Order: sequence, then structure tokens, then C-alpha cells
Amino acid sequence: MTELLQYVANGLVSGGIYAIVAVGFITIYNVSKVINLAQGEFLMLGGMVTVALIGMNLPYGLAALLAILMVTLIGVLMQKYVIAYVKKANPISLIILTIGISTLIRGIASFIWGKDAFALEPITSNEPISIGGVMIAQQSIWILAAVLIILFLLWYLMDKTILGKKINACSVNPMAARLMGISPTKMSMLAFAISGATGAIAGIVIAPLSVTSYDIGVLLGIKGFSAAILGGLGNPLGAAVAAFLLGIVESLGAGYISSGMKDAIAFLVLIGMLLIKPSGIFGERSVGKGGL
Amino acid sequence: MMKQIIDKWGKSIGIYLFLMILFPFVMPDEYYRSVGIIIGLQAIVTIGLCLVMGLAGQISLGQAAFWGIGAYTSAVLTTKYGLPPFIGLIAAAIVPGLFAFILGRAIAGLQGYYLAMATLAFGYIVQIGITEWESVTGGANGMISIPQMTFFGGSELSMYFLIWGVVTCVLLFSLNLLNSRVGRAFRAIHKSEIAATSMGIDVRKFKLNAFVVSGMFAGISGGLYAHYMGILDPQPFGLHESIKFLTMVVIGGMTSIWGALIGAILIGFISEGLVLMSEVVPGLQGDVDTIVFGAILVLFIMFMPEGLVPRIRAAFEKGQARKAKAMADEAQRKQQVERKAAT
Repeated sequence: MTELLQYVANGLVSGGIYAIVAVGFITIYNVSKVINLAQGEFLMLGGMVTVALIGMNLPYGLAALLAILMVTLIGVLMQKYVIAYVKKANPISLIILTIGISTLIRGIASFIWGKDAFALEPITSNEPISIGGVMIAQQSIWILAAVLIILFLLWYLMDKTILGKKINACSVNPMAARLMGISPTKMSMLAFAISGATGAIAGIVIAPLSVTSYDIGVLLGIKGFSAAILGGLGNPLGAAVAAFLLGIVESLGAGYISSGMKDAIAFLVLIGMLLIKPSGIFGERSVGKGGL
Repeated sequence: MMKQIIDKWGKSIGIYLFLMILFPFVMPDEYYRSVGIIIGLQAIVTIGLCLVMGLAGQISLGQAAFWGIGAYTSAVLTTKYGLPPFIGLIAAAIVPGLFAFILGRAIAGLQGYYLAMATLAFGYIVQIGITEWESVTGGANGMISIPQMTFFGGSELSMYFLIWGVVTCVLLFSLNLLNSRVGRAFRAIHKSEIAATSMGIDVRKFKLNAFVVSGMFAGISGGLYAHYMGILDPQPFGLHESIKFLTMVVIGGMTSIWGALIGAILIGFISEGLVLMSEVVPGLQGDVDTIVFGAILVLFIMFMPEGLVPRIRAAFEKGQARKAKAMADEAQRKQQVERKAAT
């Protein structure tokens, strides 16, 4: 029983990370109908830049803050100079484009930091806490706290503020939004900024638990996208729930079947889901065709 | 069939054959021949990927997985069961073809991002599967002493011609496909699936066929790769290689078979050049080629989404048209002058 609970606890932590990635995907997708396959690279950059800045003797908090700002800026620049440039491209071109950007970021990261893995100091001590026999690293609690705060803030932004209504308006009908004096380009830029910032935060909080290196973004990106599909692309809440489920399934699979097959399990779930119900558990039909 | 292709592409095929045969003799160095062999192997995969992307308008981010399945199929059959490489190669075409069929059947209804992610996920599953199935594939340590092909003595030169012979077959097959009813159906699907369906084209079937053919091409190339290298490990069959194939197709021009071939050759030489450079320049650690491929993908989609070959062809045709127009103008002017002289 304890074993089972332990696996579930582990799954919740990784599921939380997938949730942030998934929500990042959806934030951008809802506004601009682009799936940003470089989403995982935002996480990687968040962790790596923080490690690098701490290496330059900056205090932890300042390094993390600068890293978040930098990744946010990268997100905005990416939207402004690359995505906006090919507005009318077909879905295949957009996929290739964001794959290209993610490859480019990964390559530059490996060029700057090499292929070594780096670990970040945990925010609080290394000692795990035991809750009813289940051992939980203190960092895991930070991760979950960060995830929940981010999800709450995003929900608040989207549902309760004028800005969120503007973003929603652009996702429903960009033309009508423009007539109302809302700039879809600016909202799209904002979406990239949000997903850059949330990605970076996620990258920073997971770095102490699982080491960070130039290529962690790919797997995290695909798993986040899997969660987004499972939950129904376009539905942040569904994606978050699906992400936690995916994390738990993966953790159980790793525990009871084989740890080497852990990643394969997540992908099999993805392909299986695409076969049975491509619109996702909570999803609407006719999404995911890409483009517009 | 053959006549039509020669009518249409005779000149290009002539130039291709000439350069292909000339290359190993002007570059008598074994090293350049081995580069030529690797480029040929990649060209086979790229031409198949071009059929999927350019003709059927679908994306596959898991092409290296089919390549890997082909390589391991032939390697396991010949090394563990002692079958001759020839049989291994046939299996190397069939098994990835079957995988492509099953996967394609499953995801034929998917489009755009969903298909991209499904193929990406498939690529990962295959690489993980190869690594984990240690009893058969040797796991991360890989396989050694895979039998070499004994084709005309099995020298580097004979291997070069064997592989480029396969490239030629694949090229002619694909050009033929492009030129046939099937090719027209593919182009119709690419333009608009709905319109194609209403014309009575079974879109799913065509997409599936393109997918299976591309899987088989990749598998054959993988089998040849296994026998050429003699050793295998799971490392080259991942996302990095799939992105390399993607770059080759994009750089040459997604809708052009010739583009796929030229893309494979260009990227092949660029990668080789980068490897050579990294030996000389000490700062070039890491994956410089990743940076280059990423940059190429981004820049091409931004500034030249149609790719090199269609762009060059368009420029050439424009030049031809201008020349023709200039000649016509000249003739008209002459005529006017003559008429003036007559009156």
C-alpha cells in the first residue's frame, strides 16, 4: 500500500510539471492556433540559465528571476520576429518552424553549456519528509506549490480579468477582436510571454530534483503535449487533470512494469488516446488540425 | 511509363547519372567514398519522406525509427539466425513497411499537429524499444560483427555503386509515381483533401500508401546501413536523425523528389564539413550541426518555404521566358524595320 502511495506521490509531482507544459501549449494555441514545439526548451532554458547565473555568483533568487525574465523575452522575440512573420503559413510549415526553433535553442544550449547535466540546490533542505510512510522530497512540495500557484494565477488571469477576456476574444474570433480594438498580435505576444515565464519557472523548480541538461526539453515537451491532447487541446483545466493522470500512470508503469519503459508508457498512452478519441477526454471536436 | 519519365526528366536524369558515376573516380579517397555512401543511404530515406510530406502533405517526425527498424531487422536476422544479407534486406523493407502500415492505419485520420506528435512519439517508442529489448538487440551496447555485403567483392567502391543503384531505383520509382495517376491524386490531396475526396479519391488509402512506401524506403536504407557499418547501436535512430531527414526535405523543396535528393546531398556535405571543422576548431564542442539544422529549418520556412529546387526552377523558367520574350520583341522590331523599308 505504501508502495502504491509512493508511486502516486511521485506521479503527482511529474504530472504537475507536465501540467505547466500543457498549459503553456494551450495558452499559445488558444490565441494563435500555433503549437509551439519549443515549449519544452523554455523549461530547459529556465533551469540552465539559473544554474549558469548562480555559477557567476549571483544569489539564488536573483538568478531565478533573471532567468524567468530572459525566457519570457525569448518567447516574445520568437513570436515577434519568427511566428508573426509567417502568419499565413500552413500547419506543416508551422510545425517545421517550431521544431526548427526548438532544435536551434537546443543546439545553442549544448554549444554554450556542453552536454553535461547540472543540478541546482534545492530551495529548502535535501531531507525528504515522510508522510504516512511515503517519502517526499521537500523540493517536490515546492514543485507542487509552484504548479498550483501558476495554474491558479492563469485561471484568474483568463477568467477574471479584462486582459484575459481580451485574450479569449482573440481566440474566439480574431477579426471581431480587432474590430473591438484588441490587437491579436499583441495578445499572441502576451501568450508567448506567459508560456515562456511559466515554462521557465517550471524548469527552475524541477532542476534540483531531476538534473537539468541541454536536452531535457524534448521529452518534457512531448509529455506536456500528450497531456494537452489527452485533456482536449484548448481546454487548460482538462489538460491539467490529464497531466496529473499521465504522471501517475507513468509512475505506476515505471514502478510495476519497468523503469526503462517509463517514457514509452507515456507515448503509448498518447497514441492509444489518439486512436480512441483524438479530441481528448474533455475536448471538443475539430481541434488539432493546426493553422486556422 | 519509362518513356514518359525520360521525356520529362531526361536531362536531369542524365546529369544525375553522370555526376553519380563520376564522383567516386574524381574522389578516389576511401573517405570521400564513405561519405558518398552515407549520403546515398540518407537520400533513400529522404526521397521516401518527401513522398509523405510533399505529395501527401503529411508530416512524419519519426522517419529515423523506420530506418532503425530496418537496420535492426536485417542485422538480427543475419547475425543471430545466419540468413544471407539479401534475405535480411528484403525483411528490412517488409518489417518497417508493416510497422508503417499499422501505425498509418491507426493514425491515417490524423492531421497536422496530431500526426506530428504521434510520429514523434512513435520514434521515441522505437528507440526505447530497441534499447530495452536487450536479448535481441544488444540494448545500449548494440550489435557487433554484422555480416558485410559481399557485392562484387564488397569493396568501398562496389558498396558505393550498390547503394547509389538503390538510390536510382528509388528515384525512378518515385518520379514515376509522381507522374502517374497516383501522383496527381497525391497533389490533389495536398491542395485540398475535401476537394480530392469529392473527386472520388480515397484520401486515407493514398496517405496510407505514401506512409508505407516511405517506411519501406527507410527500412531498405537502414538494412544497407547495418551491413555497411557492421555495427549498430540505438543512438543514431532518434529525434536528431529524424530532424536531419526533415531538414533535407525542407532545404531541397518539400514538393520535389529532386529537391529531396539534392537536400540529402547538401546536408550530407554540410554535416561532414562540420565534423571536419570540429576536429580543427577547438571551441566547436556540442552539437554544432543541431544549430545549423535548426537555423536552416527556421530560415527556409521564413524566407524560402518552397525550398531550393522549385525556387531555382522558377528562376530558370522566368529567365527562359524573358529570353523568349526578348527574342520575340527583337523579331517584331526587325519586322517593323523591314516593313518601313518596304514602304
